[in-house]
This record gives sequence, C-alpha cells and structure tokens, in this order.
Amino acid sequence: MKPSHTLPWWYGGSLVVALFTLLPLYIMVKSSVSPPHDIFTPNPTFGVSALTDAHWKAVLASETLWPPLGKSLAVATWTMLAAIGVAAPAAYVISRLPWPWKYGVLLGLFASRMVPEVGIALPIAVRFLQWGLVDSQLGLVLAHLIKTLPFVAWILVGSFEAIPVAVEEAAEVDGCDRLGVLTRVVFPMALPGVAVAGLFAWLESWNEFTYALYLSLIDNTLPLQIYYYITRGSWFDSATYATILTVPVIVVTACLQRYLKAGYLAGAVKE
Amino acid sequence: MPRILKRYALDGLMLLPLCLFLLAFTALPLLSCVVLSFTEAGSQLFPSWDNYRALFQDSQFLLALRNTLWLTGLGVSLQLLVGLGVAMILHNLVLGRGLVRSIVLIPLGVPTIVAGVMFTYLFGSAGYLNELLSRLGVITTPINWTQGDWLSLGVLLVADLWKVTPLVTLILLAGLETIPDAALEAAAVDGATGWRRFWYITLPLLRPALTMALILRAIDAFRIFELPLILTGKSTPVLGTLAYSEFYEYDNPFGSAAAATLLMGLIAACLMTYLGLVARRDVEA
Repeated sequence: MKPSHTLPWWYGGSLVVALFTLLPLYIMVKSSVSPPHDIFTPNPTFGVSALTDAHWKAVLASETLWPPLGKSLAVATWTMLAAIGVAAPAAYVISRLPWPWKYGVLLGLFASRMVPEVGIALPIAVRFLQWGLVDSQLGLVLAHLIKTLPFVAWILVGSFEAIPVAVEEAAEVDGCDRLGVLTRVVFPMALPGVAVAGLFAWLESWNEFTYALYLSLIDNTLPLQIYYYITRGSWFDSATYATILTVPVIVVTACLQRYLKAGYLAGAVKE
Repeated sequence: MPRILKRYALDGLMLLPLCLFLLAFTALPLLSCVVLSFTEAGSQLFPSWDNYRALFQDSQFLLALRNTLWLTGLGVSLQLLVGLGVAMILHNLVLGRGLVRSIVLIPLGVPTIVAGVMFTYLFGSAGYLNELLSRLGVITTPINWTQGDWLSLGVLLVADLWKVTPLVTLILLAGLETIPDAALEAAAVDGATGWRRFWYITLPLLRPALTMALILRAIDAFRIFELPLILTGKSTPVLGTLAYSEFYEYDNPFGSAAAATLLMGLIAACLMTYLGLVARRDVEA
C-alpha cells in the first residue's frame, strides 16, 4: 500500500530526521578538528572555516590516551569471550527446555536486564573494595558480565532454537556421542549467532559507563576518560576522545545492521 | 538409566555457570541493596525506615523524584510519538529506504556518554543552539540551558530523544510490517482516507508493539543516568544520579541504597503492569 500523493511528505520527513540525527555528530567531529578561535567565541561557526590536527596530535601523543584505551579494549574483549563461554552452553540447554520452563527462564533473563545499575553497582563496589578488585580488569569484566550475560544468552537461545532437534538425532544415529553432537554439530551451526551475540557484548562493554564509574578510582576506561575531560570543561579533548570511542562503535554497528532487529535489542517477550 | 542420568548431568553442568553467576552477581547484590536500605546508618538496626524518612525530607531527593517522573512521562510520550512518525516514514519510503534507515539507526550505536558530549556543544551557553536562535533573531542574550528547572529538563528530553528514538522506531517498524496490506487496501476500497486508515486500522493493530515500546522505554527512562550526570549535573538530579552522589560524595551507602531500591520498585511496578497486560491479552485472544 503506497499512497503516492503523500510521497513528498515522507521525503521531507526523512530529511528532517536525518538532519536532526547527523547534526550533533557533525558538531562533535568538527569540534575535534577546529582551531580554538572557531569554538571559544560567543558566535561559534556552523561551517568548517579552518582545519587543525593539533587536538588529534596532542591527544594521540599524550600519556592519557593509551592506558584507558588499552583497558577498554582488554575489558571488552574478555567480557565478550567470557559471556560466550558462559552463556552459550546454558543457552543451548534453555533452548531445549519444555515451554513453561523456557518461558520462565527467558522472563528471568529479561527481568535481570531491567534492574537499575546503581542498585547493583553499590553492593558490588563495597564488596570489590574489600576484595581488592577495584581498578582491576577482572573486577570490571565481572561487572560487565552482569549486563551482557542475560543479553547474550537471550540472543543465543534464539539461535539454538533455530537448529532442529532432528539434526542432533541424525548425528546420534551416525554414532556421535552427546558431547560430540554439541561440539561437532550444534555449536558450529550456531556460530553466526554466536558471532553476532559476541559483537553486541563487546560493544556493550566498550560503551559501558556506570559500573566503570563505580569500580574505577585511578585506572580509567575510555568512557571515564571522556567524562573526566567533560568535568574539566576541556572541549577539544572530550570531542577528540569521544570521536575515538565512537569510531569502532560505528564500524561494528554498521557490520551488525542486518541484525539490528527489535527482538534482539529489546530482549523482550517474543511476539 | 545411567545414560539418562549422564545426559541430564551434562545439561546441568552447562547451565550451572550462568545460574551461579546470576545468583552471585545479580540476585545477591540486589538483595543486599534492599537490606542495606532498611538498615539504620549508625546503629546497624534492621529493619528500619530511617533512610527512607531521611530521603523524603531531603529537597534534592524530592527534586530528583520529580525530575525522574517528568522525564519518564514526557520523555516516553515524546519518543513514542516521534518514533511512530519515523517508523511510518521508513515504512512508506520507496526510494532510499536503506540509506535513511542506516542514518536513523546511527544513535543506537553512539555511546550514551558521547551523546552527552555532543549535546554539551549544542546546549552550552556559548553553544550552537544559542547561536542559531540569536542569528534567527529569536533571542538577544544567550540562554543558560543547563541551570536547572524546566529548561534543563527540556535539554535532557531532547538528548534522550536523540539517543533512544531509533530503538522505538525499530520496534514499531517491526510492528508495522506485521500489518497485512490487504486490511489497508480493503479500507481504501471502502473509501477511507489515509488519515482514517491510519487511525482506525494501523494504530489499533500496532497496539502490541506500542505497549512493548512503552514499557521498555519507561524502564530505561527511570534508570536514566549518564545524560543528566554529563549535561546538567547537580542542577537537575534524577534518582540514578542522586543514588550515585549519595554514595560517592556524601559517603552514605544507606541513602544510596534506599534511592536505588525505590528506583527498583518503580521499575518492578512497570514490569508487572506489562506482564499483566500481556497475560490479559492472551486471555482475550
């Protein structure tokens, strides 16, 4: 049903939406390459009047970029691996549960995504202080798993459900034992789903702010470093750091475009 | 018999790590947060309403509660409205649909903290919005957007709208795609105008998707944290940032736990309402 007489409206609307979406991004990237006299004025310019790479050079050469960048990379990668390692086997079992049980477990996973971080982060921060896990990568990976595990499990239950039980039975008839069925048949078949879930987990950890804020005193992650520069009112640093944080995100999200579906992201009850 | 036992042992072993983790790092911390909120600060007396009494006498807390409720109520309505508009645009677009979809989805990927950075440039007192407004001749002196009160709430509404509308759009777009063309065509044959078709066919059939978007967004809106922290700071507290500053600045984990527990209560109420609605719909169907 394409009512043709309303067509100009749809195009006009898309233009407005696209502008509203892109303008803030444009301003940020522009700020990271603008000379100070374009920004620190009561009348900032909208166009790019002059380009400078001074902020980028300063940030890339400074001591304050690489340690947070390294920590963010390491934590995100470990979170991704641990989330898959823990959630994938469990998700398989959940996907084969009889319906009322499966519904209950999925509901539990959904609910655990909904709890406010400030509520969990508080007791965790108190406990981690005692255990010496504050500022450690292990502590932050554990905290990020709180967010990512239910999400990854949720996506993977869907992937495993798509694999018919008949395939497993066929492999068993061919003489595969239970473990063999899982490692040689089921998990290889679920690999695309695992990859997508892993990338989402990586992204979520890379962007994560609240737990990092509670669990870091000295060793910042990249998002915390941005927050630090915002509180200091340092426009160029925060613009440059924010751009650095965003670039991998945009790349990964662009690769995941096909999988950006309501059911995945909402992690909600199946329609 | 031993084979069956072995089979279930393997399943249990595969399920165990996830269960243990969620128990130790989600269920127990939540419980200890609730317990902490009912523990008296000095005497460690339990249970006690002391922390809650103190909160409700704290003007900052009352402000935070008010802001959180306004941000959720106004914010979610606005997001549903705009999200529905964008979803309709994407659904009806023929040419360039993929491109527009890609652009519209960008904020979904942008980290919230970065969204905060971007909007500090727009809403700073020497920021781009003031410049635009003064060039258009609307204002003569720059407006201080983030000083608190309604203007700051507006700033947060716009920033949150930018960040989360794509999610609403995705949910509603999925909903729109389930509506059969035949229904709309039949109405068109019967002489219904575009607006009437939208009002009497599309909207009612979209109700499940709208409900889901509403609840998901409400839960997220209650938890809003980074944007107020970055954009408006102390001037516009919300429950999340209040819980954070109670703990880190006033060294009062008890008050922080009480604020977080209240937040949990709000979210739980929201979730229950949704599950109740879904259950009722299943019964009706």
